[in-house]
Amino acid sequence: MHNLGFALEGAWKVLAASLILGAGLPALFALGIRSLAWGAGGDAEVHETGVTGPRPRPIGNVVGWILFAVVVLGVLLGITFIVASGFGKALSFEHIFPTIVDK
Amino acid sequence: MILALVVVTALGFDFTNGFHDTANAMATSIATRALRPKTAVALSGILNLIGAFLSVEVALTVSNAVVRIQNPDGTPKASLLADGGTALLLIVLAGLIGGIVWNLFTWLLGLPSSSSHALFGGLVGATIAGLGWAGVNWNGNGTKLDGVVGKVILPALISPVIAGVVAAVGTWIIYKITVGVAQRFTENGFRWGQIGSASLVSLAHGTNDAQKTMGVITLALIAAGDWTDTGSIPFWVKAACAIAIALGTYLGGWRIIRTLGKGLVEISPPQGMAAESSSAAVILASSHLGFALSTTHVATGSILGSGVGKPGAQVRWRVAGRMVAAWLITLPAAAVVGALMFYLGDFIGGVAGAVVIFVLLLVAAAGMWVRSRFTPVDHTNVNDEWDRAPDAAAPVEPVSAGSAL
Repeated sequence: MHNLGFALEGAWKVLAASLILGAGLPALFALGIRSLAWGAGGDAEVHETGVTGPRPRPIGNVVGWILFAVVVLGVLLGITFIVASGFGKALSFEHIFPTIVDK
Repeated sequence: MILALVVVTALGFDFTNGFHDTANAMATSIATRALRPKTAVALSGILNLIGAFLSVEVALTVSNAVVRIQNPDGTPKASLLADGGTALLLIVLAGLIGGIVWNLFTWLLGLPSSSSHALFGGLVGATIAGLGWAGVNWNGNGTKLDGVVGKVILPALISPVIAGVVAAVGTWIIYKITVGVAQRFTENGFRWGQIGSASLVSLAHGTNDAQKTMGVITLALIAAGDWTDTGSIPFWVKAACAIAIALGTYLGGWRIIRTLGKGLVEISPPQGMAAESSSAAVILASSHLGFALSTTHVATGSILGSGVGKPGAQVRWRVAGRMVAAWLITLPAAAVVGALMFYLGDFIGGVAGAVVIFVLLLVAAAGMWVRSRFTPVDHTNVNDEWDRAPDAAAPVEPVSAGSAL
C-alpha cells in the first residue's frame, strides 16, 4: 500500500497549509471586524446596560483596515496561484515571499 | 459521426458538472442571504467561465490516472486506433454516459456527489468492459500517488476530513474573537468575507473541472485523427467547454444547493465565511502539492466542520450520512452504467451502437428531468425551512431512474 504512505505524506502538508490560510486568514478578518467595532465605540460592542458606550477610538479603524489589507493580500496570493498554474507556472516559496517560476 | 457524439456527450457532461457543483461555492452565500440566489449563480457562472479560460495547461492525460487507454505522452494506445479509433471512442462515450447518468441521478436526489468520481467511474467501467480488468490503473506503479486508489479513493477519504477540521477551527476562532461585537458589524463584515471566499472557490473550480472535459474531447479528436498536437488544445474545444460549464453553473443545481446550504447545518455568515475559506484553502493547497481531490467532498466537509465548530449549532448527521453513502457508491455505480453502455454499444457495433447508447442517455436524462418536475426546487424555494419541506431531498424511489436506464 505505497499509495497510503504518499497520501498521508501529502495530507499533513495540505492540513498545515490550509489551517494557516483557511482558518488563519478568517481569524485575521474577524480580528479586523472586532477592531472596527472597538474603534467605533458606542453600541458596537456589548457593554453594561445603562452606561453610554465608550467614545470612538480612531486607532481601532486603522488597525481594522490594516488587518483587512493583510487578508486581501492572502486572497490575491490565492488568485495569483490559480492564474499561474493555469499558464503552466508555479508559485515558489523558496525566497520566503512568493515568486512565479516555471513548473 | 461517433466523434460528434463523443464531443456532444462530453459537453453535456461538462454542463452537468457545472450545475452539480454550483452548490460547492455558492450554497453558503445563498443560505445566509449574503447574495440573492440568482446573483450568486450568475457570479459563480462568470467566474467559472473565466477560470476555464485561464487553464492553459493541457489536461490531456487526465484519464491516465485511472485507465490505460493512453500512452504517457497523451497519445491514444495504438492498439485502440484500428478502424478510425472506434474502440477508444466507444469507451470514452460509454464512460461519459455513465458519468452523466450518475450526476443527474444524484442531482434528482439532491445529493452533492463528486463529478470527477462520476467521470472516472464511468471510464473505469467502460474500460473494464472493453479491455478487461488489466485496462484499469488500480494502484499506480509505486513511485507516486497514482491509480484509482491513490488518485480517487484515498483523497476522497482524506480531503473532507481535512476541510472539516480547518472549517471547524476557523469557525470556532471567529466566534471566539467576535464575541460581544454588535450584530450589524459581524453580519455585514462576514457577508463580504463570504462572497470573496466563495468567488475564489468558483474560480478554482472553473480551472480544475473544465480542464478534464477539454482533455477528454482532445483525446477523442486525436483518436479520430482530427488533431495531432498533444501539447495544446483546439481553441473551439476550450471555448465550448468553458461555456458549457458556465451555463451549467448558471442554471444552478438548486436541489443540491438546498441540501448543502440548508440541509446539513443552519449556516450563519461567520460560518459561511469559515467554510468557504477552508474550501478555497484546501483546494488550492492540494492542487499546489499535486494532491488530486474533489471540490464536492471538500465543500461538504467544510460545511459540516463549520457546524461542528460553532458553539451550540446542530448538525443533521442523517443528511450527512446519506451524502457519504452517495460518495461511496458514485464510482461503482457510474462504472456499472459505463460498462453496460459499452457492452450494448459494442454488441450492436459501429456507428449504430454509439447512436443507440446516445439515445438511451437522452431518454434517461429526459426521464429524470420529468421526475424532478414533481418536486421542483428552484431559486424561489431554495431557502425554505428544511424540516417543513423535506420532499426536496427525500429519497425518491429508484424505480424512476432504474426504468429510464
